[in-house]
Amino acid sequence: MKLRISTIMLGVSMLMAGTSCIKKDNFPGPNASLTGSLFLDGSSSKTTVQTSTGNFNIRLEELSYSATPAPQDIPIKNDGTYENDKLFAGHYRVSIKGGAFWPVAPVETDIRQGSKLDFQMTPYLLLNNFKATLTDTVLALTADLSAPIDGGIPQIIEIDPYVNTTKFVGPGAAIYQFSESQKLPVPSASSPWDWSTLTPAQKSIGVTVTGLIRGRTFFVRLGVKFNNDDKSSNLSEVIQVDVPKQ
Amino acid sequence: MKKLLAVFIIGLAALSSCQKLDILPPNILSDDQIFSSQAGIETYLAQVYRKLPIEDFTYRPAGRNAGEGGFNLHHEWEHFYHAGGACGEMVGPYGGMDIGNGFGYWPYDDIRAVNYLLETLPKYAKNYPAATVANLIGEAHFLRAYYYFALAKRYGGIPIIKNVQNYPQQSIKDLQVPRDKEEDVWNFIGDDLDSAWNTMPATNETGRADKYGAAALKSRAMLYAGSIAKYGSQNFVGGAARDQGFVGISADKAAGFYQKAIDAAKLLEGHYSLYRKVADKLTNYTDLFLDVQSPENILTRDYFSGESERMHSWDATMSPNSGMNYMTGDGLSRAYPTLELVERFGILDVTNADGTPKRYNQLADLWQGQNLEPRLLATVYFPGETLRGKLFDQRRGIYPTFNYKSADEVAKPGGDRKFASSGDHNTLYAGSNMTVIGNAGMFPSSGADNNTRTGFYVRKYINYKQTDLTKITLFSSTTHWIEFRYAEVLLNRAEADIETGQTDDALICLNDIRDRAGASPLTLANMVVDTVRNERCKELAFENHYWWDIKRWRIADVVLNNARFHGLMPYYVYDEGKYIFLKEPETFQRNYNFDKRFYYEPLPGGQLNSNPNLYPQNPNY
Repeated sequence: MKLRISTIMLGVSMLMAGTSCIKKDNFPGPNASLTGSLFLDGSSSKTTVQTSTGNFNIRLEELSYSATPAPQDIPIKNDGTYENDKLFAGHYRVSIKGGAFWPVAPVETDIRQGSKLDFQMTPYLLLNNFKATLTDTVLALTADLSAPIDGGIPQIIEIDPYVNTTKFVGPGAAIYQFSESQKLPVPSASSPWDWSTLTPAQKSIGVTVTGLIRGRTFFVRLGVKFNNDDKSSNLSEVIQVDVPKQ
Repeated sequence: MKKLLAVFIIGLAALSSCQKLDILPPNILSDDQIFSSQAGIETYLAQVYRKLPIEDFTYRPAGRNAGEGGFNLHHEWEHFYHAGGACGEMVGPYGGMDIGNGFGYWPYDDIRAVNYLLETLPKYAKNYPAATVANLIGEAHFLRAYYYFALAKRYGGIPIIKNVQNYPQQSIKDLQVPRDKEEDVWNFIGDDLDSAWNTMPATNETGRADKYGAAALKSRAMLYAGSIAKYGSQNFVGGAARDQGFVGISADKAAGFYQKAIDAAKLLEGHYSLYRKVADKLTNYTDLFLDVQSPENILTRDYFSGESERMHSWDATMSPNSGMNYMTGDGLSRAYPTLELVERFGILDVTNADGTPKRYNQLADLWQGQNLEPRLLATVYFPGETLRGKLFDQRRGIYPTFNYKSADEVAKPGGDRKFASSGDHNTLYAGSNMTVIGNAGMFPSSGADNNTRTGFYVRKYINYKQTDLTKITLFSSTTHWIEFRYAEVLLNRAEADIETGQTDDALICLNDIRDRAGASPLTLANMVVDTVRNERCKELAFENHYWWDIKRWRIADVVLNNARFHGLMPYYVYDEGKYIFLKEPETFQRNYNFDKRFYYEPLPGGQLNSNPNLYPQNPNY
């Protein structure tokens, strides 16, 4: 078969027509990242805050994209760190969203590959001397409350035990029957506690969890829930409890 | 010859080039076509009414798929996706608090249609008697107020657009209207309804509002504004939108709004009355939702037989089909009243003094022996009742024997409880010809939810008079939805009365409602906020009020604080041949938790992108 020049021309022009609309996307991909830790303010040993996954968030607002950007939230992990390695490079406002901590001023920063940003946080209350005492299948949880900053703490509405089968335990990650259904409203849901009026005895809190299943391992902690904007909690450390088979 | 032809063609082209293309586009109706005739205007209004955000049977509070909002513009049939099923009036298919963010309702195109009517109709006023024009202008004010009411209760302050916006005649900058303050929006709604009241007719054709509809909406809207001012000042989430007044109203404005609610409600006095056509109070209360001639109906949305788009599916999605066309000819149920709702009418006495469950020969003895309020029985189907000749025979299971205290048994881990259950309606109890769960009855916790999870079924609005199962199918129900009924107006008035210390008037309103309901009268000593709230929850159950009520009372974060709801589970004790009832968590044991930020829905992201002047976003989003 003999190729006519007109056929070749038609083929070439169709190819050109097809490729003429292709523009190369030369924008950079989301190759920037931001990681960091939330340290207990004033802790010399760089202790991260006690939290649980998703209890509060880091909020990013990409100011270099828009003056009114849609926010992106990064959940803070249970070890008090956060990470997002699929961000667009740019100038961001980074703030803390939620959580039972004294407000921290937002930070404006340029985020590039490997950016790091730590925060120093002060919880409303610390849960010290956390103890979990098991008697048969009954677990007594106790802690002593102290306030790094005394005045202006939101009202306390609940003392919550959190019991789970993994170390990821806290609000939103607990077995309902051993946690939510055995919580302690203080002293009732309609009359919350005001920190400034608590007696020293009331600052030693305790909750009893009954009916734990024999032969199982649980991870437990205590929380103090506040009536703040997102009803968030300060949490104790996590203790592992092994319930004997008999 | 060729030259001649060329000249002729050029000449032809030159002649035709002067023709103007002034033919009206055939696919766009002109103002003349619409506004020159009554029929044209009614056609225009029909579309506005169709899109009016009435939360009727078909309303789905979190929307359906992307791009399909919560109002029935996409042929919705799954009416069990009901707001009451996400906040404890019922338990339903929502996995928990799934409706807090709404569905991004933003009806400014519909508001534009109303504004267009308001601006264009006067140009055609000479075609009509002056009263007709005034009536229609009043009706447009009512419709606009209704749209803004639906926006304000979701978002607080939003832009008030009173005139038709045009692009490209107006610049983008001019069209990016900032938010108005929440208080101003509620006042705008009140003003629009005053305009409506002044010029609307005293009666209108069915499905269209008259001036009393405007007064009814005003009583509802001003009550909302009053409670947002009072309770939103006590329980709120801080943020820029609140600081600037876009959400929240100063507490000192509450009394003024409450008084407007009372004044508006009193406008209906003597013109509407509670439905009392039938002597038997239970039948009367049942029929009030089915009788189109009810003197209580102020505004209804009608459904018609014929095309499926004009019918709904309430009957086929609220009663048990059980996969065997049991009480319906099609469809399935998935939303069930909670024990918490039922016990608003009084605690059910199903336990002996020693803590053991009472024994009943048959299911119906439960409610026949309790002297229950007729309104409760007309709102909820109890075990042992009948519908279309079929028995509500639901059982959670069969105990071979039962010698425990109720509370002890319910507290046991599931595996330690020794009753037979089944995921199949046909399974027979060992050695008997009795089915384990009954035809209407309850699946195990891990099973399906197309039979009751609480022991109860919805009765309100169920058309029991239709006994032909082939007509109880999807898109076959024609029961009208009552958007405003006089009982609500009395409740609006009573609540505002109590909030402003006018307890004498409140008592009269509430006792009117309770007398019709078959409940005992209250006294002045009962006239406290909790009483009127409880009465409202009972009277308006399943009518899409409860969700908005617990929000405007700012108690949703307390009522729905990791809440789980309960049922009244019927069991058969085989060796005794008796029934027992245990109060226990509903079979799915779902968790409902309300974030305080949900007191306002987030402004839709797409709208924020189009109009940065809408910022700040509502708090905590």
